Amino acid sequence: MARAAKSRQLPAPSLYLDDRYYERLVQISRGWLAAGEAASADLQNMCERLLFKEARLIDDGEFEQWLDLYSRDCAYWIPAEYPPGDPRWEVSQEFNDRRRLEDRVARLRTGHAYSQIPPTRTAHLLSNVEVVAAGPDELRARTSFAIHTYRMEVYRTLAGWCGYILIREDGIWKIQVKQINMIDADQGQENNSFFL
Amino acid sequence: MSQENGHKNNSHYDWDALMHDGLAHRSLYTDPAIFELEMVKVFGGSWTFLGHESEIAKPNDFISRRLGLRPLIITRDRDGKVHALMNRCSHRGATVCRLPSGSAKFFTCPYHGWGYTNQGELISVPGEGAYGEEYKRSDYNLAHLPRVDSYRGFIFGTLNPEVGPLLEWLAGARPLLDQWLDRYPGTEIVVRSSAQRLVIRANWKMIYDNAGDGYHPAYSHQSLLEIAADRYGPEYDMQYFGKSSTDPDDSPLYVQSLGNGHTFLDQRPEMHADSAWQRQRPQPSREAYENSLKSRVGEEEARELLEVAIGSGMNLTIFPNLLIVGNQLQVLEPLAVDRAQVNWYGTTLSGVPDEINVLRMRTQEDFPALGDVDDNANFEACQAGLAIPEMEWVDISRHLRTRREKIDAQGIITGPVTDDLHMRSYYKEWKRLMSADLKLTVER
Repeated sequence: MARAAKSRQLPAPSLYLDDRYYERLVQISRGWLAAGEAASADLQNMCERLLFKEARLIDDGEFEQWLDLYSRDCAYWIPAEYPPGDPRWEVSQEFNDRRRLEDRVARLRTGHAYSQIPPTRTAHLLSNVEVVAAGPDELRARTSFAIHTYRMEVYRTLAGWCGYILIREDGIWKIQVKQINMIDADQGQENNSFFL
Repeated sequence: MSQENGHKNNSHYDWDALMHDGLAHRSLYTDPAIFELEMVKVFGGSWTFLGHESEIAKPNDFISRRLGLRPLIITRDRDGKVHALMNRCSHRGATVCRLPSGSAKFFTCPYHGWGYTNQGELISVPGEGAYGEEYKRSDYNLAHLPRVDSYRGFIFGTLNPEVGPLLEWLAGARPLLDQWLDRYPGTEIVVRSSAQRLVIRANWKMIYDNAGDGYHPAYSHQSLLEIAADRYGPEYDMQYFGKSSTDPDDSPLYVQSLGNGHTFLDQRPEMHADSAWQRQRPQPSREAYENSLKSRVGEEEARELLEVAIGSGMNLTIFPNLLIVGNQLQVLEPLAVDRAQVNWYGTTLSGVPDEINVLRMRTQEDFPALGDVDDNANFEACQAGLAIPEMEWVDISRHLRTRREKIDAQGIITGPVTDDLHMRSYYKEWKRLMSADLKLTVER
C-alpha cells in the first residue's frame, strides 16, 4: 500500500443527510405514490427514459456516467427489512450517500475489488413504471424490477420494486433517492457487490 | 424427562491424522459426513450462542434461531424466563413457529392443531382420547435444551447436560466481552432485529478461520485501503494492517488464544490509539450528525460520544458461532458442507443521544458491504480450490515455529497479529468435541 501522499481535495461532507432528510424519506417510503397526482405524459416519458438509462449504465459497467445521473444530495438505499422501516434505527443492506457511492465506484476501479473480479454481469428489467408529480421540481416513481445476474458459473435473479425521487437540480432532472426493495430483503443474500 | 440423541456419535475418523503440526485436512471443509457430525457435536456438544436478550426484551417475545441445523424458538415467558425450545411438533415433526420473530403466548401446530405454551408445555390435543390409556400429555411437550444460560444478555445453550458452567466456559473471553460492553459508561447494548445477511458458497469454517486472521487485510481488503489512502489520506481506515514500511507483526496489534477455542484480535492499539472517529473513512450523515450532536451536548462530550459511533477495534470470537466485530454481532449459520450464512446484527446503545445510534447504523453498514464481500469471494475461491483431492492440506502454521507466542499465568497465549493462533486454538476445541463421546439430550 505504499502510495505517495498526493494533494487531495476531500470529498464534500455529508451535511445534507440530516434528521429532516431521513424523516422525509421515511414518510415517502410509507407510500411512494401517495403524494401528488399522476405525472403528465411528457414527464412520465422523461422519467422512464432516465430510469432505463440508469439501468443500462449499470449493465454496461459505466459507473461514473451512472453516478452523474444522481443529485449532489442523493441516497441509494437497499433496506434489510421488508417492508422497510426507519434507516436511523435499523441497519440496511446498504445506505449510501453521494460520498460513499463515489467510494464504491472508486473501489470497483482499483483493480483489487475481488468480489467483482471477474465482474457480475447484470441485465436489469424495469416495468410497471408509475410516476407522480410531487411539485414542479419533484417526481416520485415506483417500478418493478428483475435483475438477472451471472458471475463465475452462478446465475441468479433478484426481484422486487424500486422507489425513486427525481428532482430538478440546476435545471436537469436527477435521481435524488433510489430505494431498492428486494422481495427477500430480510433473507440471506449472495454476492451483490455491484449496483442494483 | 430426558431423551438421548439417536445420532451416531463416534466415527471412524482419525482426527489427529486430519489435523496436526499446523495443517488441516481439506476434508474438514469438503466432507458432508464430517459436516453432519459437526452439526451435532460442535453445535450442541458445548455452549453455543443462541441470541441476545434485547431481541426478546418483553414477556412473550420470541425469535427463531438454529443450533447447527436444528430449528429452535427462543422465547421469553410471561415471567421473563428464557427458554430454548426445539421448533418441532412432538406429533409429526412440523415446525410450530414459522416466523423469524414476534410475540406469542402459544404456538399451535397448523397441521393437526396441537397447541403449546411459550414454555413448551403441550396444552391442547384435538381428539386426545384416541391416544389410549397409557398416553401422558406431558410426554409430548415441546423438547427443550437441557441447559440455557446467559451472560450479560448473551444467551447460550447446549444439548450436553455435563458441560461446566457458562462463565467457566467463557474463560478469557469474559473480561474482553465486559470491555466490549463497557465502552461507554451507563449504556446497554441493544441488538437490532435487522441484520446484513450474507450467504456464501463455502464451508462455515472458511468464515470462522478468517475471524482472527490479521494476515489478510492488507491483501484481501486492498481496494478499501487504496480508496482510503487515495480519497482521504494515509491515516484513514485500517491502513495499519498494510504499512509497507513496517511488518504488522512488529506493530502493537496482537492475537490471543483465550481458552476453549475462543480468540481475540486487538486492533485498538492502532485504531483507538488516538481517535477512531478521526480515522474512520467517513460514513453517510457524518458531518450532519456531528454538528447536531456538538450543538446539543458541547464539543467535549461530543468528542467522547463519537468514539462509540465507531467500531470497537475488537475482534472477539466465541467458539463456535459468535464473532464480535466492531459494534456488530456476526453470527454464523452453517447451511450445508459448502454453504453458510453469516448474519451481521446491528447494535444500538441505550442512553446515548440519537445521533450516535444513527451514525452507528451507517458505520456498521460500511464493512459488510465494502469489505466482507471481498472476504466472501475469497472463501468461495478457497472452497473451489479445495475440490482437488490430490492437494490435501490447508496450512495453518504461521508463527507456529517462530517462538513469538507468549503464555501468561492464566494460560492465555498472545502472538503477533498475523499468527495463525486463532485457527490452531479453535481447531483444538473442535477436535476435542468431534472426538468426545457426547451424551446429547433434550428435555420435555
